[in-house]
Amino acid sequence: MWVDENLTLEGVGTAVAPARSRRRGAAAGAAGWVRDRLATTPGRLVLVQILVVVGAVCFGAIATGAEQSRERAAKSARSQTERLLVQAKNLYTALSDANATVATGLLSGGLETAAKRRRYLNDLAVASGALSTLTREAGAAANAPAALGTIADQLPTYSGLIETARANNRLGFPIGAAYLRQAALLMTSSLLPAADHLYTIESERLNGDYHTGTATSALVTFVAVSAVALILLLLAQWYVTRISRRILNIPMAVATVALAAVSVWGIVGLLGAQNSLETAQRNGSDPVEALSATTVLLSRAQGDLSLTLVNRGTDVTDPLDFNAVKRVLERPGGLIAEISALAGRTGTTAAAHTFDTEYAAYQAKADQLTGLENGGQLTGATGAIALAPQASAISEQLSHDLAEQIDAAQGRFRRAAADATSSLTGLAFAIPLVTALAAVLALVGLRQRINEYR
Amino acid sequence: MRRPLCHVFGIALLVVALAGCGASSDHALQLTLSALATPIAKAPPSTTTPPVKCQNLTASLRPPATLPAPNQMPAGSFMARIQKQGYLVAGVNAGLYRFGYLNPATGQIEGFEIDLVRELAKAIFNNPNAIRLVALTVPQRLPFVEQNKVDIVVDAITITCDRRRQVDFSSVYYDAKQRLLVPASSSVQSIGALAHKHVCASAGSAPIQVMDALPAVDRPVPVGEPQAIDCLVALQQGLVDGISTDSSILLGFKAQDPNTNIVGASLGDVPYGMAINKAHPDFVRFVNGVLAKLERNGTWQQLQANWLGQFGPRQAPPQPQYQG
Repeated sequence: MWVDENLTLEGVGTAVAPARSRRRGAAAGAAGWVRDRLATTPGRLVLVQILVVVGAVCFGAIATGAEQSRERAAKSARSQTERLLVQAKNLYTALSDANATVATGLLSGGLETAAKRRRYLNDLAVASGALSTLTREAGAAANAPAALGTIADQLPTYSGLIETARANNRLGFPIGAAYLRQAALLMTSSLLPAADHLYTIESERLNGDYHTGTATSALVTFVAVSAVALILLLLAQWYVTRISRRILNIPMAVATVALAAVSVWGIVGLLGAQNSLETAQRNGSDPVEALSATTVLLSRAQGDLSLTLVNRGTDVTDPLDFNAVKRVLERPGGLIAEISALAGRTGTTAAAHTFDTEYAAYQAKADQLTGLENGGQLTGATGAIALAPQASAISEQLSHDLAEQIDAAQGRFRRAAADATSSLTGLAFAIPLVTALAAVLALVGLRQRINEYR
Repeated sequence: MRRPLCHVFGIALLVVALAGCGASSDHALQLTLSALATPIAKAPPSTTTPPVKCQNLTASLRPPATLPAPNQMPAGSFMARIQKQGYLVAGVNAGLYRFGYLNPATGQIEGFEIDLVRELAKAIFNNPNAIRLVALTVPQRLPFVEQNKVDIVVDAITITCDRRRQVDFSSVYYDAKQRLLVPASSSVQSIGALAHKHVCASAGSAPIQVMDALPAVDRPVPVGEPQAIDCLVALQQGLVDGISTDSSILLGFKAQDPNTNIVGASLGDVPYGMAINKAHPDFVRFVNGVLAKLERNGTWQQLQANWLGQFGPRQAPPQPQYQG
């Protein structure tokens, strides 16, 4: 059995032309070395050893790479991109809320209420905080610097215009309304588009993490290299069994079991992480995005509604914009419908129902105000200006409830994202470690056979 | 060898199937981003027409010899319809300080023009509060009269031949002049000194047309803002070198910003008339009768003293001209 039948290979193709290049010479040398090894059974076992080592290194590298690409994405989503998306959302909603709040506040007369003033100042503080976080951590993202620069440049200009508006308003001068209008224009034409740009960048980065973290290619690669590595080991054992009298090579069998175990662990981990990450997206960040966009658009609507009155019926842009925002929210398949659909998915239908009721109340109040304003009933006890605080109160309740829903959705995201990363915990060490162990065991097993020929 | 290969394919298929189960939901993201990208609605731009000439610009319909008593408007007249309606709907300005403006302190639209509207309500209802005020933009003023959305517009409208084609005007209720407002630090004393400089007025208004008609050597670069008050913002921010508009408006600006001066000669007469739908000549005559009475009994002078007296010299009430 241990007399090899392939001895006839000896001497085949040895005619190497002397004029060949050094590389061809080296290749021919390597080929010759392989031929020499193939000539004898121990030589062939040495080749199998080399194959096992190469296979193990390839498996270890590719499997770890596949696992790592997903783990990096899951960790990035959990600790980086979702957090930055929330910061971008905070910036966006705080800016739009500030604009709506200040317009509503100055509408009510020469002095806005202390609560409105606090809310405006708090919005500015949130916006500044989010801006500095984004500048620190997202500054390198494509096009982010321009948008961050726009906001950093113009936020002080905006607040300056607002303070000028307040000062004039306190003196009873109509020019206060003109300054407010200019500030609102700066907000809607420059600051909010820049915030929208940042929000888009961050949401697309998070989405990129989801795509990488749930990429089918990583799982297929992992399964494929695991299968190839196991088949390689099994073939090596089959060969060893064929040439030796022993059925079982214990070190190699242990290596096979270890490799199979780590492969199964890896597949289970990857599938678990993928599942968790999809949950994080579907039940966490999808609702966060839809609810945040609704918050922003409702602030914009409230800003339009207030500015329509602050502009004292002298501007037609704001009511047009109010209606445009309303259409986007209410159209079939629009944000309101999406919130209901997402609530069904996440089991938060009670909160969604409350939202729907409040939203309907808000639109009814807005319709009433618009009717009064068009009819010239700006002033008086039943005039638009007297009733405007009611719309503002519903709007604040809406944004408060939306913020609570967003918090809940972020909680769901954090739990699922934590599950995703914990599913993969240890794999990054286990795969190379077990692979090395399996390779060593296989080498030991093969060495036992080789030693039988010494 | 064939069998393990089958297994590889089998496992790969399983993996693809498993991965396919949870296709990522990019729908929410796309919906969100497109909703947030809703563009800011824009109003259509206003247009200006070249001025035309006409005879007896400020002549209005002659008032009746005696005004009907309040609450006893002649049957079939437009005033009777207003009386039935219960209130007078007036288009007014809410941003002309002291003339027609929303007082932030009181939350009420107040001013010289508003008190004139109240006098009209008093003449119809014997109740100065039987009014509904509609705050209008410059481009809205005449269409609101033509479309009968308001009964009358008292909103610093300059009587022009163009506008007389669209609406009827009352006799002149305030004689303003087009003047120039510059920062107190400016050495400019006339419009000629602002040739090729930026001079602001509300878009589509008569002052823009007057500036456009100036000889090239004196002609400034007109800057149109949505409202005249936006011109004062632009002046305070150094974006324009001057504002050229009605003296009534400029008086209000000077009152809001003492660091400005009204300079130069009159660039033109700016007679203000109340705009009324051409279908209601009876109402024009009635309004003219009320105006004449206010000027006769000293009410007009009292209102001027109350609202405008502190900003400049008082002027005599305009001399009404009638035809037809």
